[in-house]
Amino acid sequence: MNDWYDPSNPALTRRRFLQALGASSAAAMMTGAPQLVGADRGEGIENIAARADAVIVLWMAGGMAAPETFDPKRYMPFEKGLDVEKIISTFPAIDTNVDNIKISEGLENIAQVMDRATLIRSAIQPDLGHILHSRHQYHWHTGYVPPLTVAAPHLGAWMARLLGPQDPVMPAFVNIGQRLEGVGEKEELKAFTTAGFLGSAYGPFNIPYPEEAGRAVATPKGMTAQRFEERYERYKKLVEAGGDQYISEYHEDSMRQAVDNAHRLLGSEKKKAFDISLEPKETYDKYNTGRFGRGCLLARRLVEAGSRFVEVTTEYVPFVHWDTHEKGHETTVRLKQEVDRPIATLVRDLEARGMLDRTLVIVASEFSRDMMIEGVPGSNAKDQSRAKTDVLKEMKHYGLHRHFTGGTSVVMFGGGTKKGYLYGKTADERPNIAIENPLSVEDLHATIYTAMGISPKTKFDIERRPFFVTKDGKGKAAMDIFA
Amino acid sequence: MGDMNLRPILAVLILAVTSPVQAKVVDFHTEVTPILMKHCYECHGGTEAKGGFSMNTLSLWMDKKAAKPGDGEGSYVIELMREKDLDFAMPPKDKPRPTEQEIETLSKWIDQGMQWEEGFTFAKGTYEAPLKPRRPELPPAVDGRDNPVDRIIDAYLAKQDIPPRPAMDDAAFYRRASMDLIGLLPEPADVERFVKDSDPNKHTELIDKLLANDRAYARHWLTFWNDLLRNDFTGTGYITGGRRSITSWLYKSLLENKPYDQFTRELLAPNKDAEGFIKGIQWRGDVNASQTTEIQFAQNVGQVFLGINVKCASCHDSFLDSWTLEESYSLAAIYADRPLEINRCDKPTGKLAKPGWLFPELGEIDAEAPRKKRLEQLADLMTDEDNGRLTRTITNRLWHRMMGRGIIHPVDAMETQPWSEDLLDQLAIHLSDEQYDLKSVLRLIATSHAYRAQSLVLEEEPEADGYVYTGPLVKRMTAEQLIDAIRQVTQTQTTKAAKKFPAQQIEKQTGTSGEVFTTRAAMLPSDFLQRALGRPNREQVVTSRPQSLTTLQALDLANGEALNAMIQRGATSLINQHKGKSPDEMITLVYGRALSREPTDAERKLCRQMLGDPMIQQGVEDMLWSVFMLPEFQHIR
Repeated sequence: MNDWYDPSNPALTRRRFLQALGASSAAAMMTGAPQLVGADRGEGIENIAARADAVIVLWMAGGMAAPETFDPKRYMPFEKGLDVEKIISTFPAIDTNVDNIKISEGLENIAQVMDRATLIRSAIQPDLGHILHSRHQYHWHTGYVPPLTVAAPHLGAWMARLLGPQDPVMPAFVNIGQRLEGVGEKEELKAFTTAGFLGSAYGPFNIPYPEEAGRAVATPKGMTAQRFEERYERYKKLVEAGGDQYISEYHEDSMRQAVDNAHRLLGSEKKKAFDISLEPKETYDKYNTGRFGRGCLLARRLVEAGSRFVEVTTEYVPFVHWDTHEKGHETTVRLKQEVDRPIATLVRDLEARGMLDRTLVIVASEFSRDMMIEGVPGSNAKDQSRAKTDVLKEMKHYGLHRHFTGGTSVVMFGGGTKKGYLYGKTADERPNIAIENPLSVEDLHATIYTAMGISPKTKFDIERRPFFVTKDGKGKAAMDIFA
Repeated sequence: MGDMNLRPILAVLILAVTSPVQAKVVDFHTEVTPILMKHCYECHGGTEAKGGFSMNTLSLWMDKKAAKPGDGEGSYVIELMREKDLDFAMPPKDKPRPTEQEIETLSKWIDQGMQWEEGFTFAKGTYEAPLKPRRPELPPAVDGRDNPVDRIIDAYLAKQDIPPRPAMDDAAFYRRASMDLIGLLPEPADVERFVKDSDPNKHTELIDKLLANDRAYARHWLTFWNDLLRNDFTGTGYITGGRRSITSWLYKSLLENKPYDQFTRELLAPNKDAEGFIKGIQWRGDVNASQTTEIQFAQNVGQVFLGINVKCASCHDSFLDSWTLEESYSLAAIYADRPLEINRCDKPTGKLAKPGWLFPELGEIDAEAPRKKRLEQLADLMTDEDNGRLTRTITNRLWHRMMGRGIIHPVDAMETQPWSEDLLDQLAIHLSDEQYDLKSVLRLIATSHAYRAQSLVLEEEPEADGYVYTGPLVKRMTAEQLIDAIRQVTQTQTTKAAKKFPAQQIEKQTGTSGEVFTTRAAMLPSDFLQRALGRPNREQVVTSRPQSLTTLQALDLANGEALNAMIQRGATSLINQHKGKSPDEMITLVYGRALSREPTDAERKLCRQMLGDPMIQQGVEDMLWSVFMLPEFQHIR
């Protein structure tokens, strides 16, 4: 722990050590509430100029196979009797509009915006001994591996707490596309879809179905806008009419403030941002490949209206979508159709609106996939493929059905990142592990926080112990990816 | 925070100024600590750990490789102190420079192997919490207020020159007591009878009546205990069998008002029904060394029963108090059924933990005994009559629930100075005197004049430091209380049995009495509305909930479907059940149920506007919403 401090490590200069000393202090707060350490002295958010104002995470839930998408390798077409060990990619590579970058067939639209992208091919995850999607998703979204002694906040919650919304009327953190009821591992999903110890004020505004977002900010069912408005006006008078003061002002004020904020959004023009049916048909159609595509459109509208952090997911449902335990190839064909056009459209749309430079778009997944290896080479994690075979017999065998944590692709657009830039590299032959610039979840988070002007060392005191935005404050941003 | 531990060190500092540095063996106490206190303590001692370095214990120095015993001049700390470029030196350039002699002393001390007094720590400021129970001497009763709580508080207030707070009105008292003890709003007719009753003992009788409602009591206190014991109907871990529920055991224990010593013993040395608590939550795969189920055991046992935070000391010696890594692992090793290697900051140390517990003065754990035996020994030690920490911790939590703030606050920092040692000790000794009857502690508090006093109306949240007790604080309703209250006001209580919770069956077995007809929110798995109102995911022990409403919650309450549907159903229910009532009667009814008071004229007028005459469904809905959103409704004053 704290090897950034370790004086025996020659890579670390004393200057860095001293900077670190200046940047932190462990004042023990005696109240139970979390406290931003050093906030009053401006230490919490230390002197990093923000490169981006908003983040959109496009979440490929269930483990998007890098060799099938953004890191294509030697292609082997389906052929009965083919030794499965020979398979690395089941799609051919295609050219992009950047000379040295090829991606996978089926991503033709994204290929044409690669000149706006930083493509990271070397994201890695720890070997947790047993691959459980929700546990890796928890790690990716909070920077911490469960179980934990305190409830860790989601990335979006940190942004909500540290930066707030761009526009005060809007919710800072919106989570689109994930149902939290009625799906497998829902409790595990809920465990990280939260502001954790920061408190529910900074938690996500959950919108499982983008086409229903308008309703989430509409007046209640069966109530006209006029009645809704009147109800609130009378309510305010009723609060005043209560006679004696019974409740402490800090209780009453915080409650009135909250109710007022809610009504400000519900009565504001801004709430139109939630209603994607208001989008001109031409743009709407460009996005509309399905629920994920509509989610991307909603994300653009919300960021434009002033949200800070929006996540759109293809949705995690065990064994469905990117969670390919069998029929990987066929499923991936479908998923690419769902995500390719909306992602490219989002990038172009943000660019056309002059927002791309200040909006960091991140395409990511909890880990990659491989035909043969579960976890990393040498891992004793249990093989969870449902289509085990030595040679290809039928199409269901064709695809990457094991969870691979040794090399995962992350694509970033905008937000001050380089354009048409390749970062990191995986081996061309199995094991396709990251062989250049491996980037841990902590370092990836540090990069995202740095883009947003938040020091990776920012910390809170909770239960009188420090809790950092990146584990132990040790996340190191990949500064090379910034323009 | 007291500075009592600092004094001897300061005394030493004065001596050290004149003591010769040339002594053959550098003495830790007379020579080293004064220098460290003078130049390093402010940023790296006590609760401070700038740059992540705390000098509190020798092992913390070693963790950070701040010094190499045997090589003073090769040690990082000396290198920093000798640094010529003040931008890089320690102490920082705005602080006085240490003298050459001082640096020399430290260097020599390191050369000689860094002699450190066994067990010594710079972690000051931690209150020296007594372990043994103490029976405080009760001050004389004033004006016949002879409840021990009042005798102590009256004397406390007199000493601070603060007049006792006047009592709240009887109706408000009824609402507070009922919400606090059984989590339900009182019926207006009962309140009216109570107000008119001229019996001087009526307050005590009311408390007794509420506490005798075993079922309502158990249903209400489920919330508190589930949070504390991180128990829930659903949650992480269940899916892979890595977690067990203790709901049935807990509910039965609450119904029977199981004595707290027995309750504690059954949790620590459990049978199948209660083992879910010590088993913790096991995710499939590997976990960080500080989060194995054994360490979870140590953390949860420390926090729940002793109000000790061993989370710090699960990775390294704590900077905050005197708990060490080894002590945490010893506690964990009681539970471990395999040799438990001590990990420092997630790195193996090669040292095996020996089962043991935090207060050996009460007795030891037999490290050689099998696990079941060790757990029984722990249960015995924990509930030893000399373990005043157990009784202080729980009674402080109960006081917090009833009065809005702990006598020690926050309630999990039991090594903090209480605002009244006597009061805390009195509650604790009362618990053990009364055969560990938790209801009797609640009764003692609830029948005091202190509890009956008007709550404070403050502009701001009370400060953490220098807190002085002047009266009870207003509390925000829990999610469970709020939902139950709305259902009560609108008479839409759920009568369907809870799917995951055979409450009625357990009630029959226990032969308890009281409320029978409803399924309360605490008996149901958390849902969207409960979560929005602050019911936590119970992955970790939770001892207090957020005290303010957030914008996101307010959004859910303003237009969310869950509350809206409840209100629509509620309005229909009220209209159907009170056909022929006038709008004024409806207003009186709703205010009586929701707030235990009559509406003011101004309120009545506004409500009439909402209701319409004749009343319409929409009008009733809007009035209900407005009343449910009143700060006065959502708080317990």
